[in-house]
Amino acid sequence: MKVLIIDDDEDSRSIARLSLESLANAQVSEASGGQEGFDLANSDRPDVILLDLLMPEMDGRQTFQLLRSNANTASIPIIFLTIKGMFDEFDDLKANSDVLVDLIVKPFDPTFLAQQIQRILI
Amino acid sequence: MKLQLKLSHKGIILVTVPLVFATVFLLILTLLLNQAEKEIQAQIRAKALVTEAGELQKSFYDAGVAMAGYSITKSPLFADRFDNILKQIPKILDSLNSLVGDNPKQQQILAELKSIANSALKILSEAKTALATDEIDIAQMKSRNVYQQARALTDKLKVTINDLTADEEQLVNKKNSPIDSKLQVKIFLAIGFLINIIIAVLLALFFSKGIGKRIEILTDNSIRLARGQELNALVSGNDEIAQLDKVFHAMAVNLQEAMEKERAIVENAADVICSINSEGKFSAISPACKELWGYSPDELLGRKFVDLVCNDDLPETIKSARQVRQSKVTTAFENRTLKKDGSLVTVLWSAYWSERERSMFCVAHDITQRKLAEEAIKASEERIRTIIENMMVGLLIITPSGIIEAVNPSSERIFGVTAKELVGKHILALFSESRFMDYSKDYDRNQFLETFFTKSLNRVGEFDAIKLIGNDEDFPVEISLTEFNVGGSLKFMANILDVSERKELEKMKKEFVATVSHELRTPLTSIRGSLTLLSVGALGVLPEGVKKVVSIAERNTIRLIGLINDILDIEKLEAGKLDMVMDDLALSNVIERSQESVKSFAEQHGVNLIMAQTDIKVHADGDRLVQVLVNLLSNACKFSPKGGNVRVDVIDIPNWVEVRVIDQGRGIPEKFKNLLFQKFQQVEASDSRKKGGTGLGLVICKGIIEQHGGIIGVDSVEGQGSTFYFRIPKIKEPTEINKVILKQA
Repeated sequence: MKVLIIDDDEDSRSIARLSLESLANAQVSEASGGQEGFDLANSDRPDVILLDLLMPEMDGRQTFQLLRSNANTASIPIIFLTIKGMFDEFDDLKANSDVLVDLIVKPFDPTFLAQQIQRILI
Repeated sequence: MKLQLKLSHKGIILVTVPLVFATVFLLILTLLLNQAEKEIQAQIRAKALVTEAGELQKSFYDAGVAMAGYSITKSPLFADRFDNILKQIPKILDSLNSLVGDNPKQQQILAELKSIANSALKILSEAKTALATDEIDIAQMKSRNVYQQARALTDKLKVTINDLTADEEQLVNKKNSPIDSKLQVKIFLAIGFLINIIIAVLLALFFSKGIGKRIEILTDNSIRLARGQELNALVSGNDEIAQLDKVFHAMAVNLQEAMEKERAIVENAADVICSINSEGKFSAISPACKELWGYSPDELLGRKFVDLVCNDDLPETIKSARQVRQSKVTTAFENRTLKKDGSLVTVLWSAYWSERERSMFCVAHDITQRKLAEEAIKASEERIRTIIENMMVGLLIITPSGIIEAVNPSSERIFGVTAKELVGKHILALFSESRFMDYSKDYDRNQFLETFFTKSLNRVGEFDAIKLIGNDEDFPVEISLTEFNVGGSLKFMANILDVSERKELEKMKKEFVATVSHELRTPLTSIRGSLTLLSVGALGVLPEGVKKVVSIAERNTIRLIGLINDILDIEKLEAGKLDMVMDDLALSNVIERSQESVKSFAEQHGVNLIMAQTDIKVHADGDRLVQVLVNLLSNACKFSPKGGNVRVDVIDIPNWVEVRVIDQGRGIPEKFKNLLFQKFQQVEASDSRKKGGTGLGLVICKGIIEQHGGIIGVDSVEGQGSTFYFRIPKIKEPTEINKVILKQA
């Protein structure tokens, strides 16, 4: 199972990587920004993408649109990582999306993250 | 018994009595005259009767003579004469008959006369026949016989006629002669006239005597009344004069009473009533002066009015007194006067100058207290005005139709224009709504007013106001409207607070909290993740000591995260921005999920969970409702003794469903019940450390339940556990009719 983590905070990426590698047995790649993440997703074709909402330059929403608009990446399930209460439009987005999207609130429980990822990919 | 006659009756009597007498007198006179007339007629008739009787007698005599002549001469001359006479006799008898009339005695005599005459006529006729046929001797003899018979008859006739005339004469004589009657009438006339005059004079004398005397008394009484003297005793009688006199007496009594009342008023009036003569001296004064100035009336009478006036007010008082003398109406002025003890008393004078009496009539009213009260009111007004003028809050007085009537300086500052420009405007002009509503139109005005009153009457409403000059930007204001009455007309006072700065601060605070919480979370994510990875052994087995401190670190990190989450929730709740996803859902599902969540927590505290079964459905945000129930349950577990029960009951009440969380903990003291649902409140300050929790849980629960349109609360007796409950609207089961409609739809 290949997981792409797009997050500007290096520590957060590390924790997510550690959690997924140790608890979900995933193969994890990392990107520190939206554009980099998109490129990686385009080339690597991960099974699921963890996308941080708040990032400088290209944020999670823009990255999401970019991924959606590209044929190679359009069908990859996406899990947003966000702070509670920062993503009011998520429900609308989820309802209107034809691929699986989910949301995990930071700070997350590593075991919970691992469980969610596993659940999506079953 | 005395005759009680009215004056008019007396007048009538005075006229009618002589009139009646004169009428009776006239009637008798007429009768007398008629009598005299009749008597004259009788005299004439008597004379005619006597003449006719004589004529009859003469006719028979002539007939005898003619017969005798014929018997001797056989001359037809005598025969003719005889026949003529015989023809004449019945006529005379008829004439007599008509003259006699209805006198029975004379009729009798006449009847006798008629029979005698007829007998004589018969004999005379026989004699004539005998003379024509018989021998002369026989005839002579017969005629002699007849003559004798006739003679006898004629004598008898003569006697009878004499009877008749005698009777007639007797009749005439029996009555007065016409001359007597005339005299009688004259005497009667004279006597009647005299009597009439005497009656009239007597009556006039009688009545005038009663009236004149009494009118004199009456006149005297009227003079006495005018002078206010005591009246004479009531005049006698029951006529108009007596009544007028009674009226005079009644007037006198009333006048007396009125004067007594007036005197009582003057003497008992709290105000001093006095008159001041043209020299400015008191000529009369009521006893109230003792109360007002401490002087008795006697002390003041004859003293100059200005002696009482305080020196400072003297020029003004003299000026006022002059004005009173020039004015035709009652004029008022005030001054300060000196009491006998030297203290000052402020007096309001109402004065009137009477030119006729050459006096000033005054009422002096003590207004010292009123002056003091007025000054107190003035001072109070001054204070209030100072407050109003210097307060930060803008004040507008508006009419029920929304017109601004008065403003304070703060309002000028808030709206950027002078009071002059604000007064008279409609309040709609002050708000951003005026950009699309026209404050010159009634419809728009009323529509705005409705919103305005609803939002701000007896509460605080938020509005966007605009500066009336230059600046186009809205600024937030808080307005609270209070209703009050001025002189019977309804007014509203609007307190207006410019909350721009506060709003700005709030916005900054919110942004700060959001930023801080975000900035906190990012590092917390790493800390929490690291700790959890360590504690679950994802990175290898840890020694026991390390494991313990890692678990402490992890637990507190989780608590810190919880705190930050709660603070964010509260921020959102207070801004009314907590996102709710409302759905029809089974309450049982909420209960199950909550139970699942707190199961391990309850086990840790050794508490049994007893959950109710229900099939009630609610329209709610399931996650939020679970959040509430979990919060209540974990609180209950936290404060329950080991082995205690925590029970969830569901109560079905009309339109509502109530969920109760019942614990057997220590209970909540009365004074904390209201504090529980406020920020950072726990029953004991140390609880947050001992028991964990942020003290924000119940505040969030309250916010969530209220957003559902429900209520939340607690019943508790200290030492006997607590019952936390919330109540939200349940979905109404469709009625039969609605079901059909729904099916059709």
